[in-house]
Amino acid sequence: MSRRHAPALLATAAVALAAAACSSTSSSTSSSTSSSTGAATADASTAPGGTLGGAANTSTPAASLTGAGASSAQPFLTRAFYDYSRSNHDVTVNYSPAGSAVGISDIQSQNVDFGQSEVPMSASDQAKAKGGPILQVPVDLGGVAISYNVPGAPKNLHLDGDQLAGIYLGTITDWHQIDSSIPSGTTIVPVHRADSSGPGYDLDRYLIDTSPTWVGAIGTSTPSKTWPKANVGIGQQLNSGVANYVKQTPGAVGYVEYAYALQNGFTNAALLNPSGSYVSPSIASIAAAGSHATNLSSANFDIVNQPGAGTYPLANFSWTLIYQKQPVTNTGIALGKLLDWLATTGQRNAVPLGYAPLPADAQTVAHTELLQLEDSSGSALFAS
Amino acid sequence: MSDLPFDVPVTAGAGAGVRVGAGTLAGLTRRDAVRAAACAHLDRRRRLGRLATVMCVGALALSLLPLVALVVYVVSRGLPALSGGFLVHTPTPEGIPGNGIGNAVVGTLIIVALAMAMAVPVGLAAALFVVERPGRLSGALRLAADVLTGTPSIAIGVFAYLTFVLAFGYSGLAGSFALAVLMLPIMLRADEEAMSTVPDELWEAGLALGSPRARVVRSVVLRSALPGIVTGNLLAMARAIGETAPLIFTIFGSQFFVFRPTAPMAALPLTIYTNATEPYADAQRTAWGTALVLMVLVVLLSVAARAVAAYLHRKAR
Amino acid sequence: MTYRPDAAVSTLRTPEASSWEPVAGIASILERRRSRPRGRLYAAVRWGGAAVFAGVFLLLLVTLFHQAWAALAHMGLSILWRGWNPAKAQFGAGVFIVGTLLTTVVALVIAVPVGLGTATFLAGLAPRWVAAPCTVLVEFLAAIPSIVVGLWGLIVLTPLFARHVEPFLKEVPLLGALFHGQPLGASILLASVVLAIMVLPTIVALSRVAMSGVAMADREAGLALAATRWQVARKVVIPGARRGIRAAVTLAMGRAFGEAIAVAMVIGNNTALPHSLLSPGATLGSAIVNSFSEANPGSLEKSGVVALVIVLLAISVLVNAGGQLLLRVREEGPPPRGPVDGAVEAIAGTVGPAS
Repeated sequence: MSRRHAPALLATAAVALAAAACSSTSSSTSSSTSSSTGAATADASTAPGGTLGGAANTSTPAASLTGAGASSAQPFLTRAFYDYSRSNHDVTVNYSPAGSAVGISDIQSQNVDFGQSEVPMSASDQAKAKGGPILQVPVDLGGVAISYNVPGAPKNLHLDGDQLAGIYLGTITDWHQIDSSIPSGTTIVPVHRADSSGPGYDLDRYLIDTSPTWVGAIGTSTPSKTWPKANVGIGQQLNSGVANYVKQTPGAVGYVEYAYALQNGFTNAALLNPSGSYVSPSIASIAAAGSHATNLSSANFDIVNQPGAGTYPLANFSWTLIYQKQPVTNTGIALGKLLDWLATTGQRNAVPLGYAPLPADAQTVAHTELLQLEDSSGSALFAS
Repeated sequence: MSDLPFDVPVTAGAGAGVRVGAGTLAGLTRRDAVRAAACAHLDRRRRLGRLATVMCVGALALSLLPLVALVVYVVSRGLPALSGGFLVHTPTPEGIPGNGIGNAVVGTLIIVALAMAMAVPVGLAAALFVVERPGRLSGALRLAADVLTGTPSIAIGVFAYLTFVLAFGYSGLAGSFALAVLMLPIMLRADEEAMSTVPDELWEAGLALGSPRARVVRSVVLRSALPGIVTGNLLAMARAIGETAPLIFTIFGSQFFVFRPTAPMAALPLTIYTNATEPYADAQRTAWGTALVLMVLVVLLSVAARAVAAYLHRKAR
Repeated sequence: MTYRPDAAVSTLRTPEASSWEPVAGIASILERRRSRPRGRLYAAVRWGGAAVFAGVFLLLLVTLFHQAWAALAHMGLSILWRGWNPAKAQFGAGVFIVGTLLTTVVALVIAVPVGLGTATFLAGLAPRWVAAPCTVLVEFLAAIPSIVVGLWGLIVLTPLFARHVEPFLKEVPLLGALFHGQPLGASILLASVVLAIMVLPTIVALSRVAMSGVAMADREAGLALAATRWQVARKVVIPGARRGIRAAVTLAMGRAFGEAIAVAMVIGNNTALPHSLLSPGATLGSAIVNSFSEANPGSLEKSGVVALVIVLLAISVLVNAGGQLLLRVREEGPPPRGPVDGAVEAIAGTVGPAS
């Protein structure tokens, strides 16, 4: 048996040595090259952290954090954690973009340090959390693009609620019916999320608000994270699955996080908002939606279908879910500082990737939530 | 028309010795007719045989077509991805160079090694039980092995989640456990098959010399069954390395080098799975590069398994 | 040919007083030297192995049933035909069972003729310089991990099917009726083709082993009677290998039932009953992959997904156990095999990943 394992062990050792040699050099070389959507280079002298715990409190304990949740927030989170770790070598964050529902279910069973969800946890979700009350911290502001791959279609296709409902109910089947400039015979392939999702929730909410046909067909006016019409069109897992499918299928239309649409060069539809304007997703139009968030909280989070000449109707905040009572103090401190940084300095990673910067109101909400963090004995982790 | 599969031996002008039809000189035309019919029959059989062979060759081509197409495609897209330190770096966010799967390679090696450490001894011990004590219990064990072999790996992944992960959290160890459960019935079956082909005489000779049973097993039985055992276990390992379903609910994945099995780890099949559906260029490159690495690993292991077995088989003689 | 140690040992335990005094003496010395503790340890190891194996098996069944119980009690037998709608607390596997059966049947329709033809060719019709390397090549196909096949199916086959294969199939005169509806790429058909690629090596390997196992004497008898090689194959080899071939097809069916991840990538994940082979659909495996992680722990939905696992388990196990039984039961007078053949056959019965 040892003869069988020796080669494997030797290989592991060799790879490990090589990795150790390589990783110490990779971090210094990667900051010099960045893509067009790359983050700004980190200034090593800038202390990490926002204002949590006081500006003078700059040290963060070493921690190895695990998080799971929304794929919509993944481009931003991955880049931001990478940014954070360059000035904070002792904090590693392992994020798994398995979907908002997985994030909620993992934090409920305490399998991860933080969850990430595009739709905050409801009261019944909170009740199932094993470790006590959960704090929900807004960390980014993103939009949901309706991306389409129709050769010969105009760049700025106008869509309203009824047309979208018709597409996703299967009653409108030809692109010619949407826009007469597209030649007849181009079949519409509607792509939805096979797993439950924030973007699906947003689109469902939009269609409920704007299309009585949709409400009639799905039989309820409560939006749901699980796509209610899974028997029409193609279902794919996660934003990446939908994006991939739209990219390779002529005639396809799907809803994806705007960051994915931007990164892949998708053509996005302009949606009708309550003010009568057709607005395309962009940083500015998503930010305009975010500015409508008054009294933002995990119970009052909806910014879909807001009025305004330049407001994009499909936008939402992304929420990080952490336990109020942290069993390990150092983990709690590291989490608090990370999230505080994310909501403030970390926002420099947002715009290049296609997210609007978090408005000041949301940053205040984040700060207030984080102040509620306490250790296992109940005393607060941060004073201010 | 008679269905004769052999040629009618006819000597020209001779009427004797021909046992077909008339058998008299007067049956010359009949003999000719029968002979002609037999030859035609043979030709028809030959043509049918050729047609069938052509169709079977077509079937072979159809079997090999997906293999060749797949391998060519994986190599063509995977090879460019293997540049630089792909095998030793850790993953980086999209757009940032220096991307790699080093942590997934290490993770796979650790997870599979642990799974082997769990499954191989149990498989051997259980196989010895089944072979040495035939009866209702070993029959039940065989049935259990059949049921476990038929269990889809997704069910084993769900089982590992419900037991290991809910109790101890996401970890490489949970993945190893799932893979071990997957491999166990295969190993049991292979070990048992290998041991049962050892002739009774060898067992009895060893025992007749008064050796304790354990000694007999170790020096006699295992030695001659070794080729089969090694092949079976290595093939099971080759299969386990490529499995994804037992890992998606158990190991969680990681962007860092992780050597502690009780923490979330990365593994090659999981890397392919998460990158496969990402539309980004970097992710696609990673997926194909990892696919190539995994494919080469699995094929090498399978080849090595058979080579080792052949070598041991020759040595045992 | 099973070994019965107890019979052999019992003769040793009562060494009869023979005229060969030295032998009796040596025998008794050796008996004393046979250390009892080590014998007990060995027995403990054997029992331990069996116990661990049985324990794991029982734990698997108990855990899955325990988790699925809530949904099974809620749905009763109607789980087999109702639809899947968690919002309305409906956790029926009906659509998924249809999808599973459909994809498997189509996969077998494609793979069995091709596989049997290949196996026949490799086992008899081919000259040796062709047969040996081709056998190895087909086993390579078995070694390819199913995630790689799924990846290839997703990236390469999906657009190919959407743009060329499916529109072509719709035009085929008689069969075209099976392929109505828009060609979307991801469909029952594509999933079946991917499954066929995965089960093909199983069918070829096991059929070929079965066919090679037909006694040389029988084959040579046929050849001596001036039968063509094809006639020998058709009349002697294939009927002689009937049981092995049946086992091969059964095991391939079991493999196809259990495939989850690759199918989820190419089947389109649509929960409506498929109305044509070009419709997107869902199978038990793909539904489990999509829904398991995100169901809230302890919820009825989670229990519902585990109930799907139970249904899948039941179907796969029944089919696989049948195939294994067919493999075990041998004809009269098996051809002599070495230890490696047995192991290879055991692995071939489960060869190739089935994630």
